[in-house]
Amino acid sequence: MALTFAATPRTHTPPPAQRGPRGRALRRNLTGWAFAGPATAIVIGLSIFPAVWAFFISRAKWNGIAPATQVGWRNYQLLLQDPDMIAATKHTLLLTALFVPGSIVLGIVIAIALNQKIRLIGFYRTCIFVPYVASAAATGILAGFVFNPQFGVANDVLRHLGLPQQQFLENQHQAIYIICLIALWGEVGFTTVIYLAALQDIPKDLIEAARMDGASKWRVFRHVTLPELRPVTVFAAIWQTITAMQLFDLIYTTTRGGPLNSTQTIVYYIYELAFQTQRLGYGAAAAYLLFIVTLLLSLLVIWYSRRRGSEVF
Amino acid sequence: MTNLRRGRSFRLLAGGLGAALTLSACMGGTTDSGKDAAAGYDPKAAVTITWWTGQPEEQEKVAEQLAADYHTAHPNVTIKVSPGAPTTDDLLTKLSAGFTSDSYPDVSYAFGNWAGDLGASGKTQDLTSYVNDAAFDWNDFPAAAREVATADGKVIGIPALVDNLALIYNKKLFDAAGVAYPTDQWSWDDFRAAAKKLTNKATNTYGTAYSVSGSEDTTWHLWPLLWQHGGKILDGTKPAFNSDAGVAALETFRQMAVDDKSMYLDQTDEKYAPLFNSGHVAMMLSGPWSLLEIKEAKLAYGVVDLPGYNGDHQTVSGPDLWVLFDHGDVNRAGATRDFTKWLTSKEIDPKWNLAVGNLPLRTSEKDSPEFAAYVKEYPGGQKFFDNLANAKQARPTAPGYEVLSRNVGDAIAKVMQGQGQPKEALDEAAKKSADALVN
Repeated sequence: MALTFAATPRTHTPPPAQRGPRGRALRRNLTGWAFAGPATAIVIGLSIFPAVWAFFISRAKWNGIAPATQVGWRNYQLLLQDPDMIAATKHTLLLTALFVPGSIVLGIVIAIALNQKIRLIGFYRTCIFVPYVASAAATGILAGFVFNPQFGVANDVLRHLGLPQQQFLENQHQAIYIICLIALWGEVGFTTVIYLAALQDIPKDLIEAARMDGASKWRVFRHVTLPELRPVTVFAAIWQTITAMQLFDLIYTTTRGGPLNSTQTIVYYIYELAFQTQRLGYGAAAAYLLFIVTLLLSLLVIWYSRRRGSEVF
Repeated sequence: MTNLRRGRSFRLLAGGLGAALTLSACMGGTTDSGKDAAAGYDPKAAVTITWWTGQPEEQEKVAEQLAADYHTAHPNVTIKVSPGAPTTDDLLTKLSAGFTSDSYPDVSYAFGNWAGDLGASGKTQDLTSYVNDAAFDWNDFPAAAREVATADGKVIGIPALVDNLALIYNKKLFDAAGVAYPTDQWSWDDFRAAAKKLTNKATNTYGTAYSVSGSEDTTWHLWPLLWQHGGKILDGTKPAFNSDAGVAALETFRQMAVDDKSMYLDQTDEKYAPLFNSGHVAMMLSGPWSLLEIKEAKLAYGVVDLPGYNGDHQTVSGPDLWVLFDHGDVNRAGATRDFTKWLTSKEIDPKWNLAVGNLPLRTSEKDSPEFAAYVKEYPGGQKFFDNLANAKQARPTAPGYEVLSRNVGDAIAKVMQGQGQPKEALDEAAKKSADALVN
């Protein structure tokens, strides 16, 4: 369920012309709909309509085959006490808490490094961005080879360094951190690029003025650069939170939620409920809970950032 | 202007709600009319039937050839053959989409554990009286397969594939460790002792292997032990696997995995068979589908019955089905029945199951030349065929088994990895499954 940030058109319609106002208005209306119609139909048919239908499914017990039984809010009540759902929520929160600050800090650091005037800078920038372009599924399969406990490169490196061998994705205490690492590797290109753009947008005279006043490099960064980056940071935080909460393909291609469900996130749990055990109603209810939480979180961040005076949405 | 807008958005909302309500009506199924789907069927009528095979490419070719043969013999019946879905797993999703849009096939492949759900759809044919006709020779199919084809007291399909679990062992590893080969009389204690002796840390060799992915592959390996101890999966619609029998069964595996460390624990379902084939696992509890790859790996192997408890060596079977659907057209229903009967007859089945490397469906096929050729190609084939007689009980076909399987799989995985005790883990799984089984 992707959030769409649609802009509301604020243009006013011009006053109707004197002659034949009705016919003209009708024609103008029809022309407008002819342009907007196809896209509207797609959005309504493929996003809004299924979302509404999913809501009705979420209030039923249904496996997609046998007749559905209406159960009211029972699916939601059960979810709130479901130990697997609670565990999945914890995993998702842990992943988000590691991934979002991680990708932002790494993004800023790499963006500053890539903002220097050095040779082959275009090449370095491309290198950082390439993993983001690769699909998460491919990243996951690749990482599966790297972190294979028996034959993987990661354990080879540890062996050469004289460190103990690790189980990585096959150990229930390590797997989620490894997933987070792989996700960071894949996603850091995105935050880097937006921070790079933001860095280049900072007016040069601001920095020069600070320098003239005798500010050290660190103080310039702390008191000029960082505040200038705040709107981008709010955007990146929301965006990366949504990415972390919806992380699925990586988990599907690496651990399938295992070992011992230690990497089962909410989205993966929804997939398992709806498409592995055919509990469509229960799965839809879980999806709706996730949607509401994501929506509230986004609203909270937007409200907070507006209060601080940096409007991004 | 404001009023107009409000009116418009109200209409939009109302329209959306109305459409959604119409849709939610699609969540219903059809109720059974109680009438036979093929009553008054005219065998001469021209009909077109759709067959979803659920097979990969090579098997699909065999199926298409068979359909063409049938059309030659019965020119009035045209069969539209297709795999139905990219993988057999996806067939269920395709079927449920087909039910909603009224474009489901006449006959489709189905995993045995879907039978309960498909039976509850109300779109299946009731074949009970059809298969009980003497000419059909229903009892020629293994008992476990007949049981799986029966959902809620009604026969909804014909077995399409039969298999079972037995003990496959690598002779070379036994010779190297100086351990005597397994026999049909082995107890689980013998199995445990041998696995311990065969495990060798230095060469990365394990006595045996177990999947701890928590899937049905994890779960169904436990059922034979449960049954041997006299336990049951369900008691009516209540989970009963957390009985003393279930706890004893899981404890057997726990001792091997945790205390002896003689089991390779596979997190994926997919690694243990290749490890067996490459000589890193000495014994594996698996079925006839493993024989092809073992043969390709050129392994010297043997197959014996599952180890037993108190002399009971029963095993579990995972039969799959051809499920027949009703379209409210007696001629289509009748033609579909006749075609499926032909496909699973003792004359034609050797050209299908034996040709693609599966066990024969009917006991009477054991004298066919195709079966002799199969046994020659796969030396373990005869044992698996004989072992069908040890498949005395079947997995439940009740809706909700999928959820139960997932919960039991999680419990087994937890215990095998030393994170819990059998009793608590199975009790928790039973508690979690109770709700899915009862409405």
